[in-house]
Amino acid sequence: MNQERKIRVLIAKPGLDGHERGARVVAYGLRDAGFEVIYTGLRQSPSQICSAAIQEDVDVIGLSILSGAHLSLTNKLIDCLKSQEADDIIVLVGGIIPDEDSKKLKEMGVAGVFTAGTPVSEIAQFIKEKI
Amino acid sequence: MKNQLEDIKKAKENWQETILNKRVQRFNLKKSPTQFYTPTDIESHSFLEKVGFPGEYPFTAGNNPFDFWRAYAEDAAKMGYRPDWGGAGGVGKYGGFGTAEDYRDYLKRMHAMNRKGGPNIAFDLATQCGLDSDSEMAEGEIGRVGVAIDSFQDFQTIYEPYTGDLEIDKVPSNFTINAPAAIIIAMYATLAEKRGIGLTRLKGTPQNDILKEFIARGTYIYPPKESLRLFRDTCAFCAKNMPKLNINSIGGYHIREAGATREQDLAFSMSNGIAYLQAGIDAGLAIDEFAPQFTFNAFGGSMQIYHEIAFQRAARRIWARTVKERFCAKNKRSMLIRQPITAHIGCISTTKQRTINNLPRAVIGGIAAGMSGGIPGAFPPFDEPLGLGHSLEAVQLQLDATRIMIYEAGIADINDPWAGSYFMENLTDEIEAAALKEMDKIEKMGGAIHAIESGYMTRAIAKSAYERQKRIENQEDLVVGVNCFDSENEIDVTINRIVEDTYDPKLMETAEARQKEKLEKLKRTRDNTTVLSLLNTLRDHASDESINLMPDICECVKNDVTLQEICDVFRDVFGEAQPVKLF
Repeated sequence: MNQERKIRVLIAKPGLDGHERGARVVAYGLRDAGFEVIYTGLRQSPSQICSAAIQEDVDVIGLSILSGAHLSLTNKLIDCLKSQEADDIIVLVGGIIPDEDSKKLKEMGVAGVFTAGTPVSEIAQFIKEKI
Repeated sequence: MKNQLEDIKKAKENWQETILNKRVQRFNLKKSPTQFYTPTDIESHSFLEKVGFPGEYPFTAGNNPFDFWRAYAEDAAKMGYRPDWGGAGGVGKYGGFGTAEDYRDYLKRMHAMNRKGGPNIAFDLATQCGLDSDSEMAEGEIGRVGVAIDSFQDFQTIYEPYTGDLEIDKVPSNFTINAPAAIIIAMYATLAEKRGIGLTRLKGTPQNDILKEFIARGTYIYPPKESLRLFRDTCAFCAKNMPKLNINSIGGYHIREAGATREQDLAFSMSNGIAYLQAGIDAGLAIDEFAPQFTFNAFGGSMQIYHEIAFQRAARRIWARTVKERFCAKNKRSMLIRQPITAHIGCISTTKQRTINNLPRAVIGGIAAGMSGGIPGAFPPFDEPLGLGHSLEAVQLQLDATRIMIYEAGIADINDPWAGSYFMENLTDEIEAAALKEMDKIEKMGGAIHAIESGYMTRAIAKSAYERQKRIENQEDLVVGVNCFDSENEIDVTINRIVEDTYDPKLMETAEARQKEKLEKLKRTRDNTTVLSLLNTLRDHASDESINLMPDICECVKNDVTLQEICDVFRDVFGEAQPVKLF
């Protein structure tokens, strides 16, 4: 990877859930940690997120979901990325995720799950190690 | 008095030099970790002007000398009354899931268990965003965080168990809905009409606070200005036809949860309140014709107990003064912040780490509430951060904590116990001044609508949320079990956690398909010529800002026009709100 190029992260809110605090905080935090951050805003469908990720040529997608719809929404995004041959993009999920679902998300191909109380610095470190 | 203050000032200087500073030096500190207040900190304090008596302007000491619940608190204890179950005549437990049929059957089950409060409806996200269940955007969301309402048929189904002693003029209805609030209010009015119940008899509260959705909660549809026009129409409609129905429930708490500082929370929600009052005036109403129907939804929310108490006092004073001085209200009820709970810690203060610690946290919020004119309610149940569905144990402990505060500690026996405290009066003034300064800034931007349109409010709270996160990560703000006392020397404490299977997971799974099927049938069997003609009229009238749209919406609802069909007309005419850019 080109050392000059900043790691690009797309923070996205899939579905209709409007709780944005986590997404906004992570977006600001990763930007301050030296990443290039794009925030989609609310109510994006998994296919819109997939297209945005490809168009913006991001390395990482961070999904923020607090509505309980994390399994189906994440699954759809991952399918979409695979069909577009963009599954080299790392997918992270944040929000209210029960432990048992965290396991399921990882089986789906999610690289990391970050629930409430996670320091943004930990997410930043995780991304740097993965890329 | 003046001489006395001079003496105290001198004595204070002497104390600082001879006692305080010495101790600070002895412990090698830069400054004292504690503070002490004296009469010099409230030099110009006028009791009658700033505090007054409970139930009297400016209501700093409380809305009433005592509230309804306090009048009968001891009787309730002897009767074993459980408020969370919703006694007949009261507000029921907030809830909703699946299709209207699923939720109706659930309510019937609750009634059989004597939980007979009025419908307190949670709507699913599709409904909250003005989408029908067959919308592509709504896929996966149907019946999840609330019940799905596509048409009046659904609304009517939910109310099937509410007849006889539970008739809609006997129990209050609560609707947590904002962007499509006008449609839900129209459904409620239509239901009353069909049942032959006069609208004047209806009671309840729609949330109907769209402005905070832009700042905090995210279920907006149209741009702020057009959204406020719909609010104006509901305001005039409710004031004229449903005098017992509250018009709205203005939230400060959502804004705080989304990251606002105390001052931002207070200033933004007060500024939103002013925009709503102005909307009522713009509809041609006199202030006292509609302001008494305004309510609020739990301002504030943090662990800082002293500040939360001062905050409630300051909020009551600011609102009372605004409504009286700026809007020239005469009716006392117009000037009150009527809210179901006052101070609380806010769900954001609960932690997943060592979850049971959220119980003492909630108790601190309850103490703040009891000391600032509210029920000393321990809120939320300790397992709040574990996801939807509080356990039976957590709810029991929450209720008992509240009871212990009321009956054993006597927290709610004194009105405004901090009145006259040098510290508390000083802090109340300080919070009030900071909020007024921010309100003034918003006023100079052109009011709440402009401050929302420009993205100012959204960005301001996003930044505050980030600042808080940084302070936690830097250990400037300490959270037990999260960024301190989290070593291997500590142990986790768990208890059995039984979550009542409130909503049948199988029904949740199939709700989307069943709801879609019903909708498809409705669209096939209704009088579609009438539907089209009503939608055309609605479109014409929506384009004319001077027209109140409520009668048209009522006609649409009556003729099975769907929620999204109505919202789509408004989307065409009003446009859709654009997200605020963070960077």
